[in-house]
Amino acid sequence: MNFRKSHPKSDMAVLLEHGRVIPPIPSSVRARSLERARSTEAGAFAEPAEVLPVARRRAMAITLAASVAFVVGAAGAALALRGRAHNEPRVTLPPSPHQEVASCSTPSALPPASQVAPQPIVETKTARPEPSLTARESYTAELSLLQRAQAAYTDRNFATTLLLVSEHARRFPNGRLAEEREALHVKALIGAGREVEARKAASAFAARFPRSALLPRLGHDSSSGN
Amino acid sequence: MGHLRLVSTPQPVPTPESACVRAFDRELDYIYATLRRLGAAPHEVEDLAQDVFVILHRNWNSVDLNSPLRPYLFGISFRIVCAHRRRRAREIPFANLDGNDDGLGPESALQSKQAVELLLTALEALPLSRRAVVIMHDLDEIPIADIARHLSITRFGAYARLSKGRRELAAAVRRLLRGRTRL
Repeated sequence: MNFRKSHPKSDMAVLLEHGRVIPPIPSSVRARSLERARSTEAGAFAEPAEVLPVARRRAMAITLAASVAFVVGAAGAALALRGRAHNEPRVTLPPSPHQEVASCSTPSALPPASQVAPQPIVETKTARPEPSLTARESYTAELSLLQRAQAAYTDRNFATTLLLVSEHARRFPNGRLAEEREALHVKALIGAGREVEARKAASAFAARFPRSALLPRLGHDSSSGN
Repeated sequence: MGHLRLVSTPQPVPTPESACVRAFDRELDYIYATLRRLGAAPHEVEDLAQDVFVILHRNWNSVDLNSPLRPYLFGISFRIVCAHRRRRAREIPFANLDGNDDGLGPESALQSKQAVELLLTALEALPLSRRAVVIMHDLDEIPIADIARHLSITRFGAYARLSKGRRELAAAVRRLLRGRTRL
């Protein structure tokens, strides 16, 4: 055995010398990787500095707007019931009750409500905003949600991953990242040890995305997870 | 015909790339090679490289651009492969020992691409913690202090892993070559 008997160290050095050479990857693979990187970056650019705080702030604003809308609606209904006997046409929301109701009902929600509340109600009632903007925003929300799911998955927090994935599926059933979501779903199920469900999800994925680039890996993962 | 060609030509869209994507592009060969050396299967490397980019991009503002990027990328790749292995849970060591055999002798194996395959297969025999140190020190030629820093271990621990990993690697290579000559 030449390797062992003659010059083990020099042979090992030669082997390491070969190993040091970094082979160039095929240009198609490089292009694909860069494309994925660019799309990831493009998604992250929508939320510039810190992703989570901005997302949280936006969620808080939405929650505030929704709660104020609910309060205004409830107050409107109450007013409608009270004033029904006198004059029916005035039951529809006049502009003034917003301030009235907001000031008397929830004092804690008062300062943000004065900034945020009136616009969303008027907008949702009257006209829908331009669709391209909302589409972009929904993509951003979709991406950030999936990034959180991916981060949870990287931390092996499969329960959170599944939760976020199901939230994504509920909010964006046919979103642009549905394929990635379903793949992550399968992987999270495998990670959580729910193999039967994982296999089902993998076959559903294969049926829905028969040409997916993620399919070979999923097939491998689900079969090795058994 | 010319008219048709003019119409169907797609417009090139030159988008200015960020420094992060440019750095990723520059080091993509290294990232792929590192992931392979750390034991990622060929069909997994692309997804894992994307994971590397996501983490690199997330931490880009805190990356020290005055020092070499490769040790940092290795640290990311190492952690990603560790997490990936934990996920896979099942591991069959030496699964591909016989797969690369094509009847070549050790001399010719050391001369060609098979040498790299042999090295990768031998590296598989090392536990990931020691493999990382061996790869960083003996293949990437990173100083031991940087290895210790990027893998979050002590310098002594890095030396210990290196010496034991080298012994294991040499033993694995010998074992593989013995198996080949026996066949």
